[in-house]
Amino acid sequence: MFDIGIVGGGAVGSSIAYELSRFNLKIAVFEKEPDVIFGASGRNSGVVHAGFYYRPGSLKAKLCVEGNKKIKEWMKILNVPFKATGKILVAFEEEEVQELYKLKEIGDTNGVEGLEIIKGSENVQKLCPTVGEAVACMYSPATAIFSPYLFVIALAETNLLNDVKYFLNCKIVEVKRENGNFMLKDQNGNRYECRWLINATGVHCAEFSKMVGIDSYRIYPCKGEYLLLDKALAPLLNMPIYPVPSKDVGAYLGVHITPTVEGPITIGPSAEYIEDPEGYETTPEIMEQLFQGGYKLWPYFKRSDVIRTFTGVRAKPVPPGDKTFYDFLIKEEESVPNFINLIGIESPGFTSAPAIARVVREIIEKKEKLIPKEKFVPASPRKERFEDLPEEEKQRRARENPEYGEIICRCEKVTKREIIEAIENPLGAKTLASIKYRTRAMMGRCQGGYCLPKIVEILEKEFGYKPEDFQLHKEGSWLFSGRMRKND
Amino acid sequence: MTEKDVVIIGAGPAGLACATRLKEIGVNDVLLIEREKKLGGILNQCIHDGFGLHKFKETLTGPEYIERYLQKLINYKVEVLSDTMVVNLFPDKSMILSGPWGREKIKAKAVVLAMGCRERTAGAIWLAGSRPAGVYTAGVAQRLMNIDNYMIGNEVVILGSGDVGLIMARRLTLEGARVLMVLEKLPYSSGLPRNISQCLNDYDIPLYLKTTVTRIHGKARIEGVTYVSLDDEGKPIPGSERFIRCDTLLLSVGLIPENELSREAGVAIHPVTGGPIVNDTYQTNIEGVFAAGNVLHVHDLADWASMEGELVADFAKRYLEGSLPQTQNWIEVKAGEGIRYVLPQRISGKIDVNLLFRVSFPARNKHIVIKDKDRIIKRKRVINPHPAIMENIEVKRDELKGVQSLEVMIE
Amino acid sequence: MTKEMVCILCPNSCNLIVTQSDKNPDGLKVENALCPKGKEYAHNELFNPKRTIASSILVEEGELPLVSVKIDKPIPKSKIFEVMKEIKKAKVKAPVKIGDILIKNVAGTDANVIATKSVDKI
Repeated sequence: MFDIGIVGGGAVGSSIAYELSRFNLKIAVFEKEPDVIFGASGRNSGVVHAGFYYRPGSLKAKLCVEGNKKIKEWMKILNVPFKATGKILVAFEEEEVQELYKLKEIGDTNGVEGLEIIKGSENVQKLCPTVGEAVACMYSPATAIFSPYLFVIALAETNLLNDVKYFLNCKIVEVKRENGNFMLKDQNGNRYECRWLINATGVHCAEFSKMVGIDSYRIYPCKGEYLLLDKALAPLLNMPIYPVPSKDVGAYLGVHITPTVEGPITIGPSAEYIEDPEGYETTPEIMEQLFQGGYKLWPYFKRSDVIRTFTGVRAKPVPPGDKTFYDFLIKEEESVPNFINLIGIESPGFTSAPAIARVVREIIEKKEKLIPKEKFVPASPRKERFEDLPEEEKQRRARENPEYGEIICRCEKVTKREIIEAIENPLGAKTLASIKYRTRAMMGRCQGGYCLPKIVEILEKEFGYKPEDFQLHKEGSWLFSGRMRKND
Repeated sequence: MTEKDVVIIGAGPAGLACATRLKEIGVNDVLLIEREKKLGGILNQCIHDGFGLHKFKETLTGPEYIERYLQKLINYKVEVLSDTMVVNLFPDKSMILSGPWGREKIKAKAVVLAMGCRERTAGAIWLAGSRPAGVYTAGVAQRLMNIDNYMIGNEVVILGSGDVGLIMARRLTLEGARVLMVLEKLPYSSGLPRNISQCLNDYDIPLYLKTTVTRIHGKARIEGVTYVSLDDEGKPIPGSERFIRCDTLLLSVGLIPENELSREAGVAIHPVTGGPIVNDTYQTNIEGVFAAGNVLHVHDLADWASMEGELVADFAKRYLEGSLPQTQNWIEVKAGEGIRYVLPQRISGKIDVNLLFRVSFPARNKHIVIKDKDRIIKRKRVINPHPAIMENIEVKRDELKGVQSLEVMIE
Repeated sequence: MTKEMVCILCPNSCNLIVTQSDKNPDGLKVENALCPKGKEYAHNELFNPKRTIASSILVEEGELPLVSVKIDKPIPKSKIFEVMKEIKKAKVKAPVKIGDILIKNVAGTDANVIATKSVDKI
């Protein structure tokens, strides 16, 4: 029996678990995927937002501004890489400058720090030397970039040390009320009992809410495609460049170009409503639009710089064409006591996650007193990437441990030691994508051309993987149909 | 810090040939570095035959071709560091090596880049759709099958008609997989005609030209692809989309010279070849840094890569002796009408030069013409020029007298 | 009758133009071949097409799981899959030396399957 059952182990679910694990509570996180970063948490721009896009007084505004500070603190504690780059919103035409002032006013009201309007192409280029010809920009120093997957992984691994139980590959298919508690059943028939139930299922929130008995929400999945550019371009972009947001689509921020902490540059996202909440497909038309849109902001890349495309899906609570402002919904449902619903947690959901976690904690605290744990572990030990160490230190480690000498991923320069540590990850995530997100192997320009067979060899020889054990990401994503030559 | 006369990065057909040749001509302080445990590079996984006809006058499989060099390497006692990656290369020709033995900085008087090439990926060709398992580049599939003993799928579509893809079509068929079709966006195959014949036609595998994949289907494992016919401009013809079920998609859509290290050191890269810009001594813009094999430009045959390695050995020796031809007036070599690229990109005019080039389109019975402005310097008949085949034309030092510029074109 | 075929004996891929006269069906006129082997290839291709194949055989106790192999002379095209069947069934114990005969007279073709690389014992 758990005190808290959190369904969904992404940024929001794992933040809530982190917040609540400071107290004497038995917590379980149920994640339907084989890892915690396969949903929206691993499919976004990797930007810590400042909070100037959202209607003053709204939860989005409040939690984003609060989350901006808090997520940076958490990242420092958790030792997750982020860079306080700031960002600029760029106006290419005079009419857009008015919009910048409006946004600044909203931002100032929301309590965003340091917003500044900068006029004149030269002055804009002083901030960001490579931006396209702009008439003005708004500079937001509070905006930052970070590694979204390492953040969620660090949270989850820390949560484990604070006795949070993670159930991977665990899709909750049935929820019943028994003796005032929730009885959950997963796809394999395993049962779990908890006193509080928290819906952190992201794009699946309406569906899950319905399973608990509240069918009053709808989510309209809205896809965002991205292009990923070769990290060789990284020195040419010092901060995210955003356009003035389009007035047509709700809080859609528009196609932006963003450096990542690891080097590659993202362009995107698009915004199209789709049926499938996991319709992670890219389309030639959108890819072309992203290319054009990105080029306008930052004319420094070629088609051949694209190394990969990816897609995320937003949990929008309003249908296409609806221009009304909509807010996050975070509440304990009156008709189902102890059921906390989180509906429509899309951008800036990631930035807000630590603040959302605070709100959830307060909902619980209204009904029961939470007793702080004696021994709370603030962070799991995290090593920096070997490649980021000074050369002397690299040589010292490589002399001491041959696994630091062996480079497995050539593009991202990942050592065998790091691959092995990723394979041995405490969550027990076993897919190749899990290794990829943890180490960056297979993420560079050759996309695993060199290192995939090497990683396969390590898994086979040192971890006893059989051909059927290799899985790329989702359940059923097998790599091999068997041995070519069988020894029978 | 250890200092070597010559360090060769990469022990594939070019690097091996360069190392053995250096020993043959009396350069002894040579270090050959290979990131794999086994020497030979990609030829280790190329278990089919078709190698060595020019170099050894007989047709060998990839591993047999390598074996010839390994014997020489042992005989000549070439110093080899395998299982070692050059992780950084600096403009002063120092470099950082890393391997299970440790990590260390060394320096060289001359460096031969022989790192080969890598495969173009799904992302690089803007392939749309989902990202399931079962999308492999042909070379990775070849390695997983021929070296690591894995079967990568059962129902296979191959996108791109490069040689690796064609070879894999036959390989998969012999192993019991069904190769459903090979799709090529161009109006002609980018592989050798011989491979179309013996790898596809022999097994009734259809090749659809002017056709490409527009969408990958499937969330976990690939479940099929949408493919489409292309018009003369290479644009999809509306209404021509078809779907085919498959559990594997192999990509054979081109090779890219692997020049990350070279770039880091400041070596200038040519936009068409993807390899360093070199002069007629195969020297890059950095003095004492040479390039040979697929790192310089993607060859059609391993034999030529080896021969290039040998040639570079001679120039590296002359560099050490300080006897490379010197000039202030480099003659630029231009790729003209119907020619995709010419190598070397600049020549001194002081030594004989073998110009290597590829044509842009397949044709029949054409002439290759080398001109200095309007003056024709040389003409050569080619029966079946094809972009898949590397052509060459030799120009003697005498023929280069007074030449200001060179342009190679097809007529 | 005139037929075009690509000679597969080497990467030159000669585009042969083969003319077979009605009077003397065994005598072929072969054009476009860069070497004399082209004529022989055309002849075989019309009357008795042959191929060589390369594959891999399972190795036990080897530093590699597979040893690459080829057949040492061309076999009739129609026998390819029979030969493959035997290759798939075979296994050898390391060490294997390049050139070792691993299967003699494979599928009754008179050709041998030989190792094309050496595989040491672990």
